[in-house]
Amino acid sequence: MSQHDRTHHAKIATGKGDPQCFKGTAGPAKFKVGQTVRIKDLPDVFYTRCQVYTRGAVGQVAVVTHESPAPEDEAWGHVDHSEWFYIVRFKQKDLWPEYPAAFANDTLQTEFSERWLEAV
Amino acid sequence: MSNDHDHSHGHGHQHNPPGPMVEEVSDFEALEIAVRELAIEKGLFTAEDHRRFTEFAEHIGPTPAARMVAKAWLDPEYKKQCLTDAIKASLAVGVDWLNPTGFGTPSDYTDLRVLEDTPTLHHVVVCTLCSCYPRPILGFQPEWYRTPNYRRRLVRWPRPVLAEFGLQLPPEVEIRVEDSNQKCRFIVMPVRPAGTEGWTEDQLTEIVTRDCLIGVALPRPGMTTNIPLPVHKPAKPGHH
Repeated sequence: MSQHDRTHHAKIATGKGDPQCFKGTAGPAKFKVGQTVRIKDLPDVFYTRCQVYTRGAVGQVAVVTHESPAPEDEAWGHVDHSEWFYIVRFKQKDLWPEYPAAFANDTLQTEFSERWLEAV
Repeated sequence: MSNDHDHSHGHGHQHNPPGPMVEEVSDFEALEIAVRELAIEKGLFTAEDHRRFTEFAEHIGPTPAARMVAKAWLDPEYKKQCLTDAIKASLAVGVDWLNPTGFGTPSDYTDLRVLEDTPTLHHVVVCTLCSCYPRPILGFQPEWYRTPNYRRRLVRWPRPVLAEFGLQLPPEVEIRVEDSNQKCRFIVMPVRPAGTEGWTEDQLTEIVTRDCLIGVALPRPGMTTNIPLPVHKPAKPGHH
C-alpha cells in the first residue's frame, strides 16, 4: 500500500514559505522579462492550471516569479522536479476576438510554469 | 414551487412544512464541518484553535493590506519595498506570511505581489481557477469573488463587469486583469486620490477598502465601506 505523506509540503515550507522552499531547484530560467512567448496547447490529464483561453495565444513575459513543482505534477504527488514560473502579459484583443477595438490598450496577465511556454 | 397551495394530498403530511430558522447549508459546508470535526477528534487541532483561526480569518477592515497601501502612499522607500518584496513589507503592517495567525498555521502560498496603478493603468484581480486570494493580509474573499459568474466574465468582459460595481474608466486607462491561478497572490495599490492631501496614515487606511484592494473600486475621500450590492428577493424562495 502506498503511503502518501500529506504533510510533505508543510514540512519543507515551514520557516521558508512555499514557493520559497523550492528556490534554486529549477536551474536557469529559460525565458526573460520582455521576451515574446506562445502558450502551448499541451494535453492535460486530470489536472492543469493552464487556462484554455490562453492556449495558443502570444504574449510577453512580464515577471519571472519563482521556482516550484508544476501543479500538473503536484496533483499526482510528484514534487521532485521544479520549474520556473512566469507572469505573461497579453493584449486582450489577442485573447478574445470580439474584444472592443475602443479598448485596444486593455491587457490581461496570468501565470504559467515553463513547460507551457515556447519562444516565438 | 409555490408555498401557498393548501389542498390536501390525503397522505397525512403537509408539503413544505415550516423549516428550522437556519440558513441553507451547502454540501461543501457540510463537508467542511465533517472534516473539521474529524480533525478535532483526531487531535490535529482543537476546537479552540479553530475558533481562533476563524476569528483571525474573518476579521474585517481596515485590513493590514489597506495599511500597507496607506503607508506606501506616504513613504516612497516603503512603497519601493512593497513593489519588490511584499512579503517583507507585510511585516511592517503586522503580517508575517510564514506564521500569519501567530499560532502556527500557515495557510497559503507566500508570494505576494503588489500591482501598482497609475493614472493610465488600472489593475483588477480574479482567479478563474478557484478563488486564490491573499488571505493572510486581506482576510476571506467576498462571496462574489468566488462565484463562477465573476470569474468567467471578468477576464473576458472586464469593463462591463467593473461597471456593475459602479466603476467606469475611460478608454485611455488601460485595464489590466490579473488572473491569479498559481502560487502568486495579488493586491492592487490604487493611485492616492485627490482631496487626501495632509491626511494621516490612519485616515488613508480607512478609505482603502477591500474592494479597492481587489480592484473593483477606487478609493475616494468619505468612502470607507465596500460597495453595497443590491439584494434581490428570490422570486421562488426555497424551503428547508
